[in-house]
Amino acid sequence: MADVLNTVIYNTITVWDVLVVIVVVILAIIIAKIVTLNLKKILSDKVKKDVLEIIIKIVNYGIILIAFLAVLPQLNIDLSGLLVAGGIAGLVIGFASQSVVANLVSGLFLMIERPIRIGDQISIEGVSGFVEDIHIFSTIIRTYDGIYIRIPNEKVFTSNITNYVANVARRFEYLIGIRYADDADKAIEIIKKVIDAHPFALKNPSPTIFVDELGDSSVNIRVRIWAPSTVWYDVKMELLWKIKVELERNGIEIPFPQRVIWFGDKGGVKVESGKDIPA
Amino acid sequence: MYGVYDYDFKFENQEITVGVEKRGGFLRYFRSLKNGSDNVEKILASDTGKIIVNPVEPLNLPKEITNYLEIEFEPIVIEPNSYRKVYLKFPIEIGVFAATKKSIDILDIFSLNNQKYSLYGPPDSGVICRWYKSDVFAGIPKTEILKEGVIELNIQNTSHEWVEMRRIVFESYGMKIYYNDIVSMVAVVKIINRMVAETNFINKPIKDGMKKALELYTARRIPVVERKGFLMEWGLK
Repeated sequence: MADVLNTVIYNTITVWDVLVVIVVVILAIIIAKIVTLNLKKILSDKVKKDVLEIIIKIVNYGIILIAFLAVLPQLNIDLSGLLVAGGIAGLVIGFASQSVVANLVSGLFLMIERPIRIGDQISIEGVSGFVEDIHIFSTIIRTYDGIYIRIPNEKVFTSNITNYVANVARRFEYLIGIRYADDADKAIEIIKKVIDAHPFALKNPSPTIFVDELGDSSVNIRVRIWAPSTVWYDVKMELLWKIKVELERNGIEIPFPQRVIWFGDKGGVKVESGKDIPA
Repeated sequence: MYGVYDYDFKFENQEITVGVEKRGGFLRYFRSLKNGSDNVEKILASDTGKIIVNPVEPLNLPKEITNYLEIEFEPIVIEPNSYRKVYLKFPIEIGVFAATKKSIDILDIFSLNNQKYSLYGPPDSGVICRWYKSDVFAGIPKTEILKEGVIELNIQNTSHEWVEMRRIVFESYGMKIYYNDIVSMVAVVKIINRMVAETNFINKPIKDGMKKALELYTARRIPVVERKGFLMEWGLK
């Protein structure tokens, strides 16, 4: 048995050395797993999920890296030598893996700057959905129709990011047309009551409702409502129909596009059949 | 209505029916509001438990989106370095808990009030609050016990200037609700300057002989880091 362990594999490195390295790395992986599990248990109620994920990743890879570096001398690997060799190799690898490194660095900057967090609703380069995870190299988006999309971090970092829930409240608006014959003040009063009755249409900032334009077919009323970012779309969907129903219940109608046609002084229209239509 | 009941509990008035009955071989918890907004029915797979009904933090309906309660009231102008005690009303939500000797869990939350939410502070750094409008009272006001509670608000103006106040914001984690013939909380607001105040709850009843209500985050087993109240830093008006 001792002979097998003392068998030289390469230079002065024996089977025993390799075994030690493997055992240490495996132990480090197990310890990292135990530590991260306990961290999750302890911190899950005290730290936000996205921050916790980052802490856990750093601790996990940190433990494994430290163990690996500590055990390297067992393989007679001199780290100072590695630095020189690493410099040259780094250049080669750097050119070869430029995009990988760019994604890695972008990932680190994303974690520091944190324009997005796990669970946020965002839009990047035409991709909209929930942020599922932020990895070192890529960001995972679950679109609203449930599709998995992986975006490299370099693209995320250099793109315009729209984060729909970064602020606690947001505004949305409707343009509601009523007939010229209807009373716009009454319509505004009705719309205000419907909005006031909705729990998530915020009291402050208060909604604004006003006649915005005298359109071709209707008097257009602009309605601006603030809602909590987490539920704004639900509020938007619910309120429009309620406003429509309530307006109609009070005799105010939303008109179809219409055009008044005037036939001139003499009146009447000559139709192809030759039969005149009287004025 | 508030209290601890066996599984034969039933309460009915003009606005609500709630209780537990045996039907179809199962114990069933049921609740219906007379305004028809929503009804709840659940099978209780239990033989030895109890039902606990008590007021809970009014921040759960129609959906839990915030931990803050804002009460707006008529302006109070407070002289420098002074103390005043006033009473406000706050909205109530009613929690129904299923309890055994070792465990307790929330079964249902409902309210006879309408809910309204508001933003305190700017959209980027403010907080969403459950909003309620109250009158200001010099003594304990009469309330509808299933709809409203009373907050004893101890106002300390520690600044050297007159301060006008017309709103107060509380964080739910510190809410200590007590009940018997009324529902109550006791709170302190320490005014630091015209724009900033700190609000806290005190864990005591408004009068003797009141029972402490179960806190939702206790029933939900949510560990909470002790906080030193809420700092109102976006104004008191």
